[in-house]
Amino acid sequence: MDDKIVKPEPPLGGPPQGSRPHAPVGDGCFLGEEMKPQAPSYKEALARIKNWFRANSLWVMAYGTGCGAIELRPLATARFDMERLGIAMRPTPRQSNVLIVSGYLAVKSLKRVIRSYEQMPSPKWIVALGSCTINGGMYWDSYNTINRLDLYLPVDVYINGCMPRPEALVAGFQELMRRIKKGEADGWRHYMENLDWYKENQKKIITDWDLPEYNW
Amino acid sequence: MKEILKEIEERFGPIWERVQRPKLAQVGIEPAKAVPLLTWLKEHRGYVTLVHLSAVDWIEQGEFQLTWLLGNPETEERLMICSRIDRENPAAETVSGLWPQAVTYEQEINEMFGVSFPGSPRQGVPFILEGWKDIPPMRRDFDTVAFVEKHIPGREGRKHIDTRTYIGEKFGEKGYLHD
Ligand code: SF4
Repeated sequence: MDDKIVKPEPPLGGPPQGSRPHAPVGDGCFLGEEMKPQAPSYKEALARIKNWFRANSLWVMAYGTGCGAIELRPLATARFDMERLGIAMRPTPRQSNVLIVSGYLAVKSLKRVIRSYEQMPSPKWIVALGSCTINGGMYWDSYNTINRLDLYLPVDVYINGCMPRPEALVAGFQELMRRIKKGEADGWRHYMENLDWYKENQKKIITDWDLPEYNW
Repeated sequence: MKEILKEIEERFGPIWERVQRPKLAQVGIEPAKAVPLLTWLKEHRGYVTLVHLSAVDWIEQGEFQLTWLLGNPETEERLMICSRIDRENPAAETVSGLWPQAVTYEQEINEMFGVSFPGSPRQGVPFILEGWKDIPPMRRDFDTVAFVEKHIPGREGRKHIDTRTYIGEKFGEKGYLHD
């Protein structure tokens, strides 16, 4: 797959910009931002089409950590019904491409989350829910929860709040779709390119490291 | 509740007791007699359910308090059996032979407080903390904030408000806080 035209990366080794400033929001039109006056090269057009397909095929892994996972139930079921947006739950990492980290993450669960994330097929995205994933939230001084998720995994969209309501989640998903369409949600590529940096951080916090270097 | 408390006193010697609600009472007993009492309650008085087993760190007295909460499903009465053990090299008898689910409670207390239950399976097997090297985190002499600052990187710019100072400043009453 040749996706070279999509945005260049932050320099290797620097802290990943999990919450990269969002590009100005377009009108959500069919192929991302406004069409250029001259026709794009066929590669770019192809990349846009691919991204459009990807944005409309979000499969969320049915996994929840922390309190925020409670809000996924109304979101997934009749009350807010996320399938109307084309988002559905899948039971295993091999079948999904969106991982929602729904709140605080114990070091023990971080290990499982890393495992699941690496098993998901690329392209894949992480949506981080709640202030616990951003700066530790109200669990910032807990001996067993991490305080900042983007040191360990690439985050594409943060949804703040404690806990965010399902409406906020819907907004977050729409933002994710917008960013995928524009080719900006490329945390998975950032992860692959800065794997050493991520692995180093992961190994620092997981003291009994027994994972393989990459969980294929 | 009164009758059973009286009967316990007759059979097991001096106890400390308190009836908290019509169907809930607390019994304090020395550690050596705790498991015989639990066995007797289970086998002869219908307290067949172990609802909970918990530990409390009484650091000032140099003791850990273990509480077995028993339930009698027929009369819907509950009994809390409390027992204080020494904080140095804490150990207590296991009840995993009476209630299999006690294994998990004992494993957790072993990990979180460092109380050992000789004879209980899965002692020393990590439950929540994997690769933990510090002192057990639920002990009150474990400094959580210092641990977090040392081991868990956070995000710059987070402002911490110390609750005690904040309330003291806000209400202008230092004596309002007990210390
Ligand atoms: S952000 Fe709030 S609701 Fe979410 S996991 Fe943390 S404490 Fe729970």
